[in-house]
Amino acid sequence: MTPDTPLTPAEDDEVLAAELALGLLDGAVAEAAVARLSQDPGFARAVRGWQERLAGLAEGLTPVMAPARARQAIRERLGHARPPLANDPTARPAWWRGPAGWLAGLLAVAATVALLWQPGQPGPEAPMAPGAPVYQAQLSGADAVLQAAARIEGRDVRIALESGAAPEGRDWEVWWIGSEDATPVSMGVMPRDGEMRMTLPEGMEPSPLVRLALSDEPAGGSPTGQATGPVVAIAGLTAL
Amino acid sequence: MTDARRSHLESLISRVALGDRAAFDALYDATSAKLHAVCLSVLKDRPEAEETLQEVYIRIWQGAARYAANGLSPMTWLITIARNRSIDRLRARSARPPTAPEDAAAQVASGDPTPESATIAAQERRMLDECLAQLAAPQAGAVRAVYLEGFSYADLAEREGLPINTVRSWLRRSLLRLKDCVTQ
Repeated sequence: MTPDTPLTPAEDDEVLAAELALGLLDGAVAEAAVARLSQDPGFARAVRGWQERLAGLAEGLTPVMAPARARQAIRERLGHARPPLANDPTARPAWWRGPAGWLAGLLAVAATVALLWQPGQPGPEAPMAPGAPVYQAQLSGADAVLQAAARIEGRDVRIALESGAAPEGRDWEVWWIGSEDATPVSMGVMPRDGEMRMTLPEGMEPSPLVRLALSDEPAGGSPTGQATGPVVAIAGLTAL
Repeated sequence: MTDARRSHLESLISRVALGDRAAFDALYDATSAKLHAVCLSVLKDRPEAEETLQEVYIRIWQGAARYAANGLSPMTWLITIARNRSIDRLRARSARPPTAPEDAAAQVASGDPTPESATIAAQERRMLDECLAQLAAPQAGAVRAVYLEGFSYADLAEREGLPINTVRSWLRRSLLRLKDCVTQ
């Protein structure tokens, strides 16, 4: 095959499948290719083949943990969790007017707040083993003004900034460095107040080899998910 | 991806299809950092990537029942949803006419024997990096930019300073060479 020979019909079909999988087709050509999927099993198989082989490119990307609020938002949008302080549309209107209603209301608020503050709590599928290993790390900046503390119990991670917030227009981004030569994984942006809490995904195992780092990034975190700014604090995990 | 991880994800997806919220949480724990990275790679904007990630998991919840029939490996199905939703949003941003990256292939039932296609897919993935390295650097870079950053032919033409038809022609030939290499 030289650049000048036209593609054979079989080659042309194969490339069309690749272009459809990649989203490179436009207009009528795209529509025709989509219509062909349901009529031509061979073509549909070729498209799936391209989806499989190209997905290998994405497998190579450095994982970036999403903020805990993303999971909460998904739960709310699917109706799996109520937004904080939302009215319960199924409650009968007169029911909450009595003292029992006030108490239940308080409990509901407490439950919602607890849910909101612990979005990373392990579900029934991942019960916290009693005596799960506990690690901590104390991250300090070069000038010791910046102080952050991390605590990991089992797969539950909590990190809080104690002092030294990022300057205006910047944020500290938290990174998990699995070993000496591992690519850092973003754990998200350090909140200015309160703590961030999350559940470690598969493949991120706490151990004394793991280090946590803070990098200086534009507000909201590195736009690409890869560290852009200098590391301002780093510390290894210590077993407790 | 190991066979154990693959079957773990498959079992989670099949439980999600039955409305199992605990399985959905576990699937989110196991895959959201990777899918978030896909959204960020295409969109290069944290708030948009986070919003897209939410849409991706809503689609996963709603579409899990159709997963078993499509013959894709679990990570491919998840990555494809994340990539396609991100590209939809990218194209909407530039007000370019929507060029549908297709979920449609994932909706079509496959008659393929899954274990066999999974083995083939795993082999091809192992070859992918090596085969990309055998392409000329601009061509390999173009394949990555299209897949990971949602580049269109027009974007590639602009970047390379070449007419769209020229870029299309060499990318099409590069894709064929890539396939010949990974399926050897």
